[in-house]
Amino acid sequence: MKKFVNDPQQFVPEMLEGLALANPDTLKYVPEYNLIMRADGPDESKVSIVQGSGSGHEPAHVMIVGKGMLDAACPGDVFAAPPFDYVYETTKLMASPKGVLLLVNNYTGDKMVFEMAEEMSSADGIEVKTLFINDDVSVEDSTYTIGRRGVAGNFFVIKAVAAASERGADLNEVIRIGEKVNSVTRTMGVALTACTPPAKGSPLFELGDDEIEIGVGIHGEPGRRRGKMMPANEIVEEMLGPIVKDLPFKEGDRVALMINGLGGTPISELYLLYGQAHKRLAEQGISVGRSYVGEYCTSLDMAGASITLVRLDDEIEGLLMDPAEIPIRVF
Amino acid sequence: MSTTKIDDVEYVVRSLAQTTVEKEKEFGDLDAVVGDGDLGYSLARGFEKVLADWDSLKRDDAATFLQQIALAISSRIGGTSGPLWGTAFLRASAAAKTTDTIDGAAVVAMLRGATDGIKKRGNSDLGDKTLLDALIPATDELERQLAAGASPEECRAAFAAKIRECADATSTMEAKRGRASYSGTRSIGSPDAGAVAVAVIVERIVADWP
Repeated sequence: MKKFVNDPQQFVPEMLEGLALANPDTLKYVPEYNLIMRADGPDESKVSIVQGSGSGHEPAHVMIVGKGMLDAACPGDVFAAPPFDYVYETTKLMASPKGVLLLVNNYTGDKMVFEMAEEMSSADGIEVKTLFINDDVSVEDSTYTIGRRGVAGNFFVIKAVAAASERGADLNEVIRIGEKVNSVTRTMGVALTACTPPAKGSPLFELGDDEIEIGVGIHGEPGRRRGKMMPANEIVEEMLGPIVKDLPFKEGDRVALMINGLGGTPISELYLLYGQAHKRLAEQGISVGRSYVGEYCTSLDMAGASITLVRLDDEIEGLLMDPAEIPIRVF
Repeated sequence: MSTTKIDDVEYVVRSLAQTTVEKEKEFGDLDAVVGDGDLGYSLARGFEKVLADWDSLKRDDAATFLQQIALAISSRIGGTSGPLWGTAFLRASAAAKTTDTIDGAAVVAMLRGATDGIKKRGNSDLGDKTLLDALIPATDELERQLAAGASPEECRAAFAAKIRECADATSTMEAKRGRASYSGTRSIGSPDAGAVAVAVIVERIVADWP
């Protein structure tokens, strides 16, 4: 597998360096802790919103640092939780009188590191809380989790809590909103190919040319079943079914619908999937209020996609519509 | 048990650190039976850092010293070993803060703090086939010995004997936590790597006691 890489050990730092050089006015890179933060941060008039996880899921989370989104992102190496001291130092650096919210996708390694950072920085007198995201309906316990995994739905939690913090909400209010959004967000993914970590140089798992993994995790973990390739509408049906049934989403619901590419699927295919999902929801009396199509949370170069639904109400929709500025831009 | 000075705390930590570095391969092999084989590597990397930073660690009191150890082993370690062991030292440090003298009762409080911290951080308890299944009964034994008025030497010997007995006894258990739990019933028949590692560490501490 050919990749643009120098020294695989330096893959993450060199990516972060490029990101910072491309956004000199808005982003600051702190190499000691792998940290990307807002250049003008921390803003002491608001709750600091910090997300950390393994790298390899870009644009999550280092490329969504900016006004109305994250105040800082604290990544580990590819598919590895950030080391504890990175998270601890980041929390101290982002300390604000209004507090710090650490957002974490529910994986055991990340969970332990962030809880420990919360414990240590609380002992230092920082007001800090941790919120776990677990939107994946595919499996209950998994290779790296107790309970459900946190995947692309994290975008909606981040967007909502960040908007609330920009509006001046206090830490408890921000947490209430985060928990609320997480509780109405459901996701499922499918892989058409495996992914290749830069340091490994070969696929992380075996997936036959004619096979797909339904319910795949964002590190290529097994999902619900491995099957033969099918037409797109059948794949959408097999993914939407469990998502809709889980909450459950009901006739009359208004939702945000996200088709998220896993890194190696062209956007043309993502829009095709979007059309199939949008129409299938309409048949069930579920209307789409907000649409999201593109790459939000990837698995390196994996071909595949995930579908996320969020049940909207006025409060959540308002927060999702608030303006935000992040490095990924079209113009 | 008589008053323990910070020298004794330093000795215990240093001995522990040296054992994990020396036994890296042995601990890794234990973990490879049903776990993911990274126990030896993770612990060795963490305690290597402790030994490298040894002379610069603050020694104002036991609590400060133990907090520094927690920070050192938790930094730069992946996997779950860093947070679990880091939390153990952090909670032991918190227990040490509440006392001026490190006596037998304080040692029990520090061990209780450590095991409670591991329980919370690892979402685990007695019976899950983890190092807790060796460390908690051994702490109970230590408390019994202290109550019966045993000498420091007797306390240490009883603690080490109990921890070895319980570590070996994890062979008959099924793993409920950690990567070993994915092996289900296949984890029965071999002891828990973390429990055995702790037993090896404690035996060495007791054998070389200054």
